Amino acid sequence: MPSKNVRTAGGVMAMLGVVGVLVLHWMVFFWTPTEANQGIIQRIFYIHMPSAVVAFLAFGIVAICSALYLWLGDDHLDQAAVAAAEGGIVFTTIVLLTGPLWGRIAWGTYWTWEPRLTLTLLLWFIYLGYFLVRASTENPDRGKRFAAVVGIVGALDIPLIHLSVRWFRSLHPGPVVIKPEGPTLAPQMMTTIMVGLVSLLLLFAGIFLIRYTIEVAKQTLDVRDQQARV
Amino acid sequence: MLLSKRLLRRCATALLGLLIAATPALAQMPGQDLGAQTMRPYRFVFIAYAIAWILVFGWVVSVARRLSHLARRLEE
Repeated sequence: MPSKNVRTAGGVMAMLGVVGVLVLHWMVFFWTPTEANQGIIQRIFYIHMPSAVVAFLAFGIVAICSALYLWLGDDHLDQAAVAAAEGGIVFTTIVLLTGPLWGRIAWGTYWTWEPRLTLTLLLWFIYLGYFLVRASTENPDRGKRFAAVVGIVGALDIPLIHLSVRWFRSLHPGPVVIKPEGPTLAPQMMTTIMVGLVSLLLLFAGIFLIRYTIEVAKQTLDVRDQQARV
Repeated sequence: MLLSKRLLRRCATALLGLLIAATPALAQMPGQDLGAQTMRPYRFVFIAYAIAWILVFGWVVSVARRLSHLARRLEE
């Protein structure tokens, strides 16, 4: 089995991520104060926002690896892009499912077609398309190249999602952590969100590395099968 | 008689005050009692964290299964 060290590193990172997520749960439910205006429902923020950041990072990796793959043609870059895209889809799904639950209490509706929500749903569909394009071409190399283009185009949606709350009149609140003037959260809330961010990043990085080794192993098997046929 | 009339008026005022105070809360989610409304955010927070756990756990299980399947094939 190739990349054993990478897999071990991934496992360690994922385990650290799980421990971090457990600490996060303790902080969310027993340590962080309840937000004055929204009450208990605001606690969804501590899983919603870090998931969004991890998803954007994952799709950023997809875009960079895809661009480099188109340029250099190295299969390892495509394998890294696939691994990151899968994580991105998982974390965007978390964002798209936890957000409406928060919105139902805060806004009185599960869903509204406002810019940030619509663009995030679009992002989810673009990366679903990334996998469909890969799977639907007869020539695998062609599928990889088409998917790489989708991966690059899809990442253009990320800055739009971030800036949409500034550009358009929107129900979704503006950024409270990632903003030029600095974060505007209470210190305990800030610490909790940072623990959430680090934990989910570690979890994603760990599973991403393991997922990457799967793609490498798949290619090894494909090459072996081709050689056996010859 | 006078005392009972005053008591009745006070009770009516208190009831009216209570109704006025409760109306906005009741109007927020029609068809649900106040207890259910108060518990709803707690339930939603629980569901949100459960969804996150289920999705991440599902992803981990799926990756682990694919990994063990490939490991078996490579050993063959």
